Amino acid sequence: MNDSELHPFVESIAREARRPVVTDPAARERIMAAVRAEPAPSRRFGIWSRFVAPRAFTLSPAGGALLAAGLVGVGIFAGSLAFNRDGQSTVGRSQVAVAPQLPVSDTVVRFIYVAPRATTVYVVGDFNGWDTTKTPLSRTSTEGVWSVTLPLSAGRHIYAYVVDGTWSADPHAPLAPDDGFGHANSVKLVRRGSSS
Amino acid sequence: MSDDAADVQRVLAGDVDAYAALVDRYYDRCARYAVRMLGNRDDAEDALQATFLRAYRALNRYQERDRFSAWLYRILVNQCRSVAARRAHRDRVFVREEALLLNAPDRTPNWSGEDEEFVQRVLNELDPLLREAFLLKYIDEMSYEEMSALTGVGVSALKMRVKRACDRLRDRWERIKDE
Amino acid sequence: MTHGSLQRNLGILAGTGVLLVLSALPAVAQDPDPLAKLETKDRFVIELLIDSASVAGLPSNALRQMALQGIAKHADGRQIVQAVRKQLNLLRTAREVLGPVDDQELTAGASVLSAGAKPVQLAAFRPRKKGRNDLEAFVVWADFLERKVPSEEAFSAISKLWQDGADDDTFHSLWTNVQSDISQGLNPGTALQNRIREAPGRASPVTVKPPEGAAGEPKLEMI
Repeated sequence: MNDSELHPFVESIAREARRPVVTDPAARERIMAAVRAEPAPSRRFGIWSRFVAPRAFTLSPAGGALLAAGLVGVGIFAGSLAFNRDGQSTVGRSQVAVAPQLPVSDTVVRFIYVAPRATTVYVVGDFNGWDTTKTPLSRTSTEGVWSVTLPLSAGRHIYAYVVDGTWSADPHAPLAPDDGFGHANSVKLVRRGSSS
Repeated sequence: MSDDAADVQRVLAGDVDAYAALVDRYYDRCARYAVRMLGNRDDAEDALQATFLRAYRALNRYQERDRFSAWLYRILVNQCRSVAARRAHRDRVFVREEALLLNAPDRTPNWSGEDEEFVQRVLNELDPLLREAFLLKYIDEMSYEEMSALTGVGVSALKMRVKRACDRLRDRWERIKDE
Repeated sequence: MTHGSLQRNLGILAGTGVLLVLSALPAVAQDPDPLAKLETKDRFVIELLIDSASVAGLPSNALRQMALQGIAKHADGRQIVQAVRKQLNLLRTAREVLGPVDDQELTAGASVLSAGAKPVQLAAFRPRKKGRNDLEAFVVWADFLERKVPSEEAFSAISKLWQDGADDDTFHSLWTNVQSDISQGLNPGTALQNRIREAPGRASPVTVKPPEGAAGEPKLEMI
């Protein structure tokens, strides 16, 4: 959409908003005063930048937020950040999406399905993007028992099994509400710091 | 080497006062974004202070091949979001746009296009992410690619947000006209 | 998460000498988008709905997962759009009713609405004190409704337990027992009535009227 297509009212708003705002000259002084009170930024991490910034790197929202927080250089967090699956800060719920999507795995969870005559069993849910071929279960030593163990973040997960191509809810888990797609789903509730 | 890069090098070499040159160069432009985005000068000043301070701390990570303004704006946009989030948490207000319009004062200005308060009020009515996209596109006049690199949001999503912001502003005009 | 505690956690990591490389962070996704399997017009609407959720501070990932689920189950494009739109409305309603809860609780609250609870019933769970997590209560409540426990009885049982300060284990045990009874052929309402008597602190089942006034019936907004 280029400017010539802008509705006149919208163009007026934009034009007015482009005008400079009055600023307090003392504000810049305050900034410099704060800056002078800081330890000098040295080239200490200069050599890191060669490792830290690959040429083709696109700064994700994660990178942007961390850069802004002066935290470039740390890769993996051990689950202590309060960022949920949507990458939104769980503090200060607001209308603005704040931050990153970081892979946080709190707990290892076992999925079990009993199907003595099955050839293949998969678990499919919101933790694997509902990919029906991504997470197969394997037979265990016990007759007819299939299982797989996955790291899952704390919270509520929706899933179902696909047994030889047929969708099946988990008979031993709470039911999720019917989503209108014709097959029931189950709920796995992962408590923080537990294992199940 | 651009002025920006040269000033950055000077600061890293120990000349703190060289940072003032960078602040002077970008303050007004950043202030304009912050005020339009946050709707009031106090919050804007908080965001600006935090932005320039964080930029200073992160200066050794600034890569010369990035445009300094884009690098700085990334910090600014995120700081404005933080300030807005803190404010929303404090206020715990979930106000629908319609309610905001209903509460707006009665006076409908003879729209001359020079009423800053009116403009700010109209901008405040936009959802924050729509406002953000609108400002970056039409006030800071960035390309969608620049906006995408800055916000981490895809180009098509940004185009959609800008379009929706314009649609809402246009709807606002329709309502004004009918009053 | 405040900046202060973020710094502290990183201080701990830095102190252990673990400073890993930025490239370990997820950059913009490189995999082909599974939503590409949808017809363009359906995909456009769904992306718009997902973006509406983001803009409104609602968990957009829940909508994306809904679409992925529909694709996996070979649902019709129109059905998927309807399901996503319905979910967005439920999230909006849950937000109006529950306020600034986190995304997990919000989605769980929306699921209770989806299962048939009324917004005014969900309003009873609007948090009044910090640190209390409703996920287990909501999951059990939604399950009871899915198993056709009458709406008033399910609400009554869950809300009373919650008001009495029941913990996650209490809710979970209740669910285990009721589900077991139902699978043995007992009528769902009866099963709940029986088991709720056993729950700690409950002398006899009480039917509780949903709270009056306040939340009312929030308007469902269609996109």
